[in-house]
Amino acid sequence: MLKPHRQKPRRTVGDWILLIAVILVAALVAVPFLIILVNSFKSPTDYANGGPLSLPSSIYTDGIANFWQRVNFPEKLWNSFFISGTVAVFAVIVSVFNAYAIGIGRVKGRVWVLVLFMIANTLPQEAMLYPLYFMFKQVGLYDNVWSVIIIFTVVQSAFGTYLLSAVFGTFPKEIIEAASLDGASRWQILRRVVVPISRPTLSVLLIFFFIWTWNEFLIPLTFLVSNANQTVPVAITALQGDRLMDVTTTSASALLGLIPTLIFFLIFQRTLTRGITAGSTK
Amino acid sequence: MKIKRTLTMLAAVVAAGALLSGCSTSAPAEDGKTLKLWHFESEDSAMGIAWNQAIKTFEEETGAKVEFEPKSFEQIRSTASQVLNSNEAPDILEYNKGNATAGLLASQGLLTPIDDAVDKYGWADKLAPSLQTTARYDDKGVMGSGSWYGIPNYGEYVEVYYNKDMFAQYGIAVPTTYDEFEAALQTFADNGVTPLAEAGAEYPIGQLWYQLALSKADRSFVDDYQLYKNPVDWQGTELSYASDKLKEYVDKGYISKDTTGLKAEDMGTSFISGKYPIMVSGSWWYGRIIKEATSFDWGTFLFPGSEMAPGSSGNLWVVPENAANKDLAYKFIDITMRPEIQALIGNNGGVPVAANTEDITDPKSQELIANFNTLTERDGLAFYPDWPTSTFYDQIVAATQELINGSTTPEEMNTQLGDEYESGVADITGK
Repeated sequence: MLKPHRQKPRRTVGDWILLIAVILVAALVAVPFLIILVNSFKSPTDYANGGPLSLPSSIYTDGIANFWQRVNFPEKLWNSFFISGTVAVFAVIVSVFNAYAIGIGRVKGRVWVLVLFMIANTLPQEAMLYPLYFMFKQVGLYDNVWSVIIIFTVVQSAFGTYLLSAVFGTFPKEIIEAASLDGASRWQILRRVVVPISRPTLSVLLIFFFIWTWNEFLIPLTFLVSNANQTVPVAITALQGDRLMDVTTTSASALLGLIPTLIFFLIFQRTLTRGITAGSTK
Repeated sequence: MKIKRTLTMLAAVVAAGALLSGCSTSAPAEDGKTLKLWHFESEDSAMGIAWNQAIKTFEEETGAKVEFEPKSFEQIRSTASQVLNSNEAPDILEYNKGNATAGLLASQGLLTPIDDAVDKYGWADKLAPSLQTTARYDDKGVMGSGSWYGIPNYGEYVEVYYNKDMFAQYGIAVPTTYDEFEAALQTFADNGVTPLAEAGAEYPIGQLWYQLALSKADRSFVDDYQLYKNPVDWQGTELSYASDKLKEYVDKGYISKDTTGLKAEDMGTSFISGKYPIMVSGSWWYGRIIKEATSFDWGTFLFPGSEMAPGSSGNLWVVPENAANKDLAYKFIDITMRPEIQALIGNNGGVPVAANTEDITDPKSQELIANFNTLTERDGLAFYPDWPTSTFYDQIVAATQELINGSTTPEEMNTQLGDEYESGVADITGK
């Protein structure tokens, strides 16, 4: 017996509480963005007289323009995009190879390899800073974007390997067996079977790697000495002085730094939700 | 399909970028034709304006090119020891003065001792003794003696900013003695106005506390406190007076109890918006107050009844040991010490160290510089309370917060700070 279908589902008290909770959380998340937005368009005098929460008395765009020119923003944008994009692609490729060996190939000692990757993941970046600094200085990659690309490809693929190994571990054996019965080599199974089927998961990884690398601060700050190599998050700090801070220009810079990731997220938003809900078999 | 296309696109972009950036590594040039220069002052600040002119003059006179890169304070602070140890080191950079910063780099051998250049160009004659203190460091990185490692272009000091309109409203004259100052605070408090803009979560409250101690102190106290010449008596006249007075200020309502949660930025903006009539803080606010405090008339005076004030030379020009073009760096420093560049600092809200007073035309700047000159003539720059040890800043903030909250007495605060001071100093001097 099917339950009688209700035309208008009545909202229960629980539903309302849930709705209010969601609105509250959304508002809390939005507050910092709104404060940045409001202060980006205020003149310093306006800020000093009205405080951080008041609305701007007139729209003031000098803060944004100053920041754009002072740090040569398009250059920083390209650096960030280039580093994050390269890292995302490389890290996904490395993760796929590793996870194929561990999750599907079930190589010996895979548990230990995974434990090692876990440890690498939990290590704080501050601890790696000096060893990395000496290593890259030795090989002549200090103050070169490739030092940061190599570091983050390794860091991100450590996490990617860990995650993908778990995903590949549950990969239906029948499909792989069927493929090898058809005479497919290991390489062909990876390219023709495993990668296409797990593509939604891979694209989610790619997007996360991109955004995580984009937001990195400490290592780019340390390794990219010349202004010409700097990334967006490092450029944002260029405005903070010794004792004084220029709140309105800093807000403007935060706004400019935020927009690219926001746009990136909006473009790939559908891929993200699809990837998380997608199963491994069709 | 869509994802595949996106992936291909990304890969293409990445490949293009790889080609472009493959050829961008540069080796340090020892050609005497370029000067790689870093500083972290904003373009429209007094130093920014003056140094821009110095760069132009330098390029005209030497024919060398300046490769200037604006940096952030944070960036230089957190990466200096690594950069200076590599081939990417600039030829000259602005660096924070003090034991924990320039002193530390000097003791690690990362900075060039510039004694020969100091003699050659005669910079020592242009700098008052208390300005020289922060330019010289011994082999442990303690300031005050040893070789020269840097040259300051500007100074900074703590003074009293006051809102003339509010003083007039309550019929208060500008105080010239400490008693008059306290009477002024009392008059405001009686009228329900909290007189002092303060910030208990950052440096301002510690500087007020130190200023109070200085009003009972002489140079030998400062030498003991800052240069570790003799042990400091934490229950002695100077520091007991400071802590007692601070407590009194809170009890009498001269400082709001809420101040413990406020940052320096909050203090500045509340003075600029006219909420408080008095702010005791540094000359680094000057340019900003000129620009932003437009709704009332204001002025400054030195803390009444005190021969000394917190203050020091500004940040230093230092030359890294790995610099390629040291001689050009010295020439540049010399240009920044010329009267015309110094006058630019003075006329834009900064405090020049070697300006001719007749070159300063802006009346507000004349006041600022006159006060500074009064101080240096009295040998009155006493540095900052948090300088002696690397952790003292946070310890002073915590101790004053507890005092303001009423959870410690002035004696307890001094005992606690004294213990922390002594253990910190022992780490540095090894005694």
